[in-house]
Amino acid sequence: MANKTIKTHTIGAAGQRITIAVTALIVGAFFIFGAGLANSAVLHDTAHDARHAYGFPCH
Amino acid sequence: MMVRYLLAALVAGLIAGVFMSVAQEIKVTPLILHAEEFENVGGAHVEQSLAPRGSSILALADFLNPVTSAHAHEGADGGSLFGLDRLGGTILANLVVGAGYGLILLAAVLLTGIPITAKTGVLWGAAGWLTFQFLPALGLPPELPGFPAVDLADRQVWWIATVLLSAAGLYLLVARSEIWAKVLGVVVLALPHVYGAPQPEIISSDVPALLAAEFAVAALATTAFFWVVLGLLMGAAMDRLEEGA
Repeated sequence: MANKTIKTHTIGAAGQRITIAVTALIVGAFFIFGAGLANSAVLHDTAHDARHAYGFPCH
Repeated sequence: MMVRYLLAALVAGLIAGVFMSVAQEIKVTPLILHAEEFENVGGAHVEQSLAPRGSSILALADFLNPVTSAHAHEGADGGSLFGLDRLGGTILANLVVGAGYGLILLAAVLLTGIPITAKTGVLWGAAGWLTFQFLPALGLPPELPGFPAVDLADRQVWWIATVLLSAAGLYLLVARSEIWAKVLGVVVLALPHVYGAPQPEIISSDVPALLAAEFAVAALATTAFFWVVLGLLMGAAMDRLEEGA
């Protein structure tokens, strides 16, 4: 019981932890895809210098 | 609770993106602008700028490329999001990339169960840099505009595969203590490089090699700075969340 309480306090219950992790992964990957990889002229032009600077495959 | 973790990762990423914008503006952007001067030599049209001169194969590859070359630079079509100027676009992109990598870092911390603190933040940052910058750069070095390259989709597939394998390999190598995991980790890390990144057959370019070398180093150095800042900020944020919990 005590052990469970400590665990909840340090990093959250396992189920909740996985939920946060998956949410963060999906949203984060979406951001990286949009800024770095998406095949859109407008996104490419806006992020052009940053795409080169992060070494995303470009052009 | 869930929202606080996500917010902490977002804020850490956004702040790291601001730091990165400054570093980029000083170290990286001047080299891109310099390279673009050479890129447009001998052909005023932007259409020509990305196809290496005298290479029909690459010209064909460029033609077939879903990303046409014309929109690659200022003054061409495509245009910028929200009408931002070049610097504004770069800052926006840095904020989005920062937030994205911040969230992915949070996901990695939670999925592996290896805590990130102010002390371990640098190590987490180093792992992120290895995964997303250095290991992919072994096959596809950060490139300047105007450099010969093969089909974009091929390189993006290799890049994504290398990032995923590098993350898995680093996890097996660093986080697991079993011998088989360490051996498998090394194999997984080496796999994309043994397979090989897609490379152009013709490597001539109007852009001087010295600029390319400076750019590759500047890009890797500034992204190392970005990842260290991101790791430290995430670590500090998680320390505070734990204290408040």
